[in-house]
Order: sequence, then C-alpha cells, then structure tokens
Amino acid sequence: MVGPTATLTPLARTDGSASYQCPATGFNILSSVNAPVELPGRRDALKPEDATVEVLVKPGTAPNGVGEQYVKEIIKNMLGKLVLGRERGFPRRGVVVTLAVIGGESVARGDSYLTMLPALLHASLLALLSAAVPLSMTFSATVLAVTKSGDIISEPSVQTAKAAASLHALAFSSKGHLLLNESQGAFDFDTWERVHERALTLCRGQAGGSDEDVSMAENGDGQPLEGFIRETVEDKVHRDYAWKIDED
Amino acid sequence: MTTPLILLPGDDVPSDYLPSNSSAPLRLGPGLRLLSEQVPTSSGSSGSHVITATQAGLVSTDTKKNGVSIASFPNRRYIPTTNDLVIAQVHHSSADFFHCMITPQAPHVLLPQLAFEGATKKTRPMLRGGDLVYARVLSVGVGAGAEVELTCVNPATGKAEPGGLGPLTGGMVFDISTGMAARLIRASSSKGDDEDGVEGLVVLDELGKKLESVGGFEIAVGRNGKVWVDSSNGGDSSVKATVAIGRCLTTIDEHELNTTDQRKLVTRILREMRVE
Repeated sequence: MVGPTATLTPLARTDGSASYQCPATGFNILSSVNAPVELPGRRDALKPEDATVEVLVKPGTAPNGVGEQYVKEIIKNMLGKLVLGRERGFPRRGVVVTLAVIGGESVARGDSYLTMLPALLHASLLALLSAAVPLSMTFSATVLAVTKSGDIISEPSVQTAKAAASLHALAFSSKGHLLLNESQGAFDFDTWERVHERALTLCRGQAGGSDEDVSMAENGDGQPLEGFIRETVEDKVHRDYAWKIDED
Repeated sequence: MTTPLILLPGDDVPSDYLPSNSSAPLRLGPGLRLLSEQVPTSSGSSGSHVITATQAGLVSTDTKKNGVSIASFPNRRYIPTTNDLVIAQVHHSSADFFHCMITPQAPHVLLPQLAFEGATKKTRPMLRGGDLVYARVLSVGVGAGAEVELTCVNPATGKAEPGGLGPLTGGMVFDISTGMAARLIRASSSKGDDEDGVEGLVVLDELGKKLESVGGFEIAVGRNGKVWVDSSNGGDSSVKATVAIGRCLTTIDEHELNTTDQRKLVTRILREMRVE
C-alpha cells in the first residue's frame, strides 16, 4: 500500500494550511485554517466562553450537495472536541476550517462520503497544527470496507466502496480513544470488532503499544498513520527551526 | 542541552527537558498547559501533574527565566499582545486618535494623538494616511472585538521608551514572517560577540560592516511582521542600500538560510545592486 503524502503550510495568506494526498483512495485535499477570527456578533452568544469551530467542505468540480453537509457536521463535531476553545484569545472567536477537494475521483451523487472522510480529517488536523491552534490531542483516521465475502479492505477507492457490503470510518486519538465511528451498510458485531482491530493497527501501529513504540512500529500495512502525521510535522519543524536546532 | 524535542498536541513534556533551576517557579510559555493526573495507588488515588503540549512545535527552554515553551510554526498571523513593538500605518485620523493598521486583515487600532514624546494639544505630530509609526501595544482589551490601543511613550515617564518610538520618516517597509520578526528582535536585544551570531542571524552585523562606507543604516522591527529600513545618510546609493537590505532580510526569511549562506547572500546582493 502506498502511504499518503502531505505538505504543511502550502498557502501563504492563511494562518495555517495543509495539502494531503491519499493515493489509496485517490483524494487530494487542500485545507486552510483561520483562527482566531472574529465571528458575526449573533453567534458568540451561543457559547460565550468557548471558541466556535466552523467547517466548510468544497467539492472540486461538482456543486455543493448533501454529502458535504453530512461530512461537515461530522468533522465539526469531532474537531470541536479537540480544539481548546478556552485558551487565551480563543473564547467568543471562531476557528474556520476550509477543506477543498482539489483532485482525485469525485464522489458522485448517492455515493458514500465515508471514503473521503479520513483524508478530510487528516488535512484539517495538519492545517490546525500548522495554524498553532491549541488542541488537546491529535488523532488519526481510516476507512475500511468489508466486501460481500467478508474481507476487509483498507482505504478503498470509490469504486471498491460502491461494491462493498459495509463501510466503516474510524478515528483514534493519540491517547487511544475512539473518537469517531461512522458505519454504513449491513454488518454484525463480529465484523465491527474485526474492523475496529484492523483500524487500530492501521492508525496506531501495534494495538496496545506505548506511544514510543507506535511511532517506530512498522507493520504489514506500512507505517501507521499516526506516525505519518508526526513525521510530517517533525519534518516541517526541523526545516523551520534549522537555525535553532543546529545551534544547540 | 539534549537532542531537540518536537512535540505534538497531547504529548507530555519529559521531566529531563524542564529547566532544573529550582529556586524560581517554573514558567510555562505558550503552547503548554498543566494537567493533573490521577494516579491510582493502593490508598485511593493521588494527584500528580504533567505538562502537556497544546501546539505542535519545538520545546525551547529559557534557563534564565526558568521557563519552558513550545516554539510553533513561525508564519502565523500577528495577534497583538501587550508590550509588543509594532510598525503601524496610519489610515485616517479623528479628533483624538490616529486610526492605524498593524495587519491588513484586522480592525484598525487606536493611537491617541497625544501619545507621543513631548506632545501637547498644540505640538502634536500631524500624521497623514500612509505615514508609519513605531509604537508599543498599550492594551489589547478583553474578549473579542475589543479595541487595541498603541502608544509611543511610556505613560509613567512621558519619554519614548524604549528609544526610537514615534513617527518613522523616510525609509521603506518590508514584510517578513512574524517568526523572523521575533528572531530579529531577540537577536538585537541580546548582543553577543558570537561568531555564529545570535539566534542564527548574522545578516545585520554583516550588512553593518559592509555598508559602513555608505553611511550605515537604521532599522526598526515590528512584531507584526514588518521591518522598516532607512539609510538616508548614503547620498546617491541610499535608495540602493535600503532596497538591498530589504532584499537580504526577505530572502533569508523565505529560504531559511544558515549563517554561511547569509554572509554569501549579503555579498551577492550588494554586488548585484552595486552598492559598495
């Protein structure tokens, strides 16, 4: 399996941005984060002591549809739990995440949006990190398809997902919590258990390992996704702070 | 100092990276927070504390102040903080205030017309739209939508402290990243005779040596990612020298050059512009 690639801060005029390519599912996402920004006045009465997370998903070529609204809500709820909206400068202000699907197969009307969800989540996480928005933890996400014969395919393409019996998108925090569990199609508990185990291995390496082991671990599916996020960030920090790191 | 440590949000800072000076309390800088951790023991649970990162970046410690913070990505938007030195551009003036821009996307900030050294109702500086002011952030207000106020004097003494605050005449402003601006300010405030320069910057020393013949130059760095350069003593080559200095600073910022490359760049740009 070819691993994903990502670049931090490709855009100059936003507070933080990231581009994320996932060869397995074929999606190419460009994300930008602006935070903290002033929101129109009527919104800050809802949660006066917290920041408001706004997510915008723009499909590349098609007009906006219900699918975008659906993933938008999922991403918003998930990121809202991670962003520390009570840190200095953030209460009553907004964190605006804009996700543009700029390449890959487009999801046609009626197709499942779950295939795109991990790429969107990773792109928004990397953009939040590059904007230095305070977060309580990081996460990694994956999508798995279960075929009619019971095989589990990780990161399926749109075509594979269409033929699958069920689709599962899962996200795990860097502390091992299950942050997201969206499933679609017909499946039983045993299948879900297998999917969960496989997803945990994909995201965090060996299940139950300590943090240090996870980032080092290499398994049959290549590098765990959490390690990939960490490496991308470390690379960028190394480049930006070369003057400081070399000095020491 | 041990190997550089890069943390992601949610990671704990290992205790051997914290400054060991125990006489002063530990100061947590941006990007870190203190969490209490419930450790189950035989007699119920005892609380202990861990320091956790909230931003991704490099752990940097300050042994003098006994502080630890996370140095995050340097290209962030400028958010006004009290006591920051900024370069503001006057947009328009009203009866008592100059309305200034410190970043193009933020609302205007206020600079009282009497907040200059020696200014009275009769002798206040007449600034027009587009003029530049080197000022200190006096207050940022509370909560969202609050007004940011600037000042060019220390309200306690009535002097322009630190020196140089006030209108900037002549010269030219260049945009740099906020991270680079912070580096330049730190480098100039801690003068070292280090061969490698302070904060990995040798560009200003190098330019100072090379441009002595054309009368030197003046520089003002604003935390809002602006740097003002002027070398009006240079006569014919003053414009060239100003542009050359600006080009050096912006190129170093963009390409993250090390000290050797900084020296090379200064020589190359000065030769290209035929300043020397």
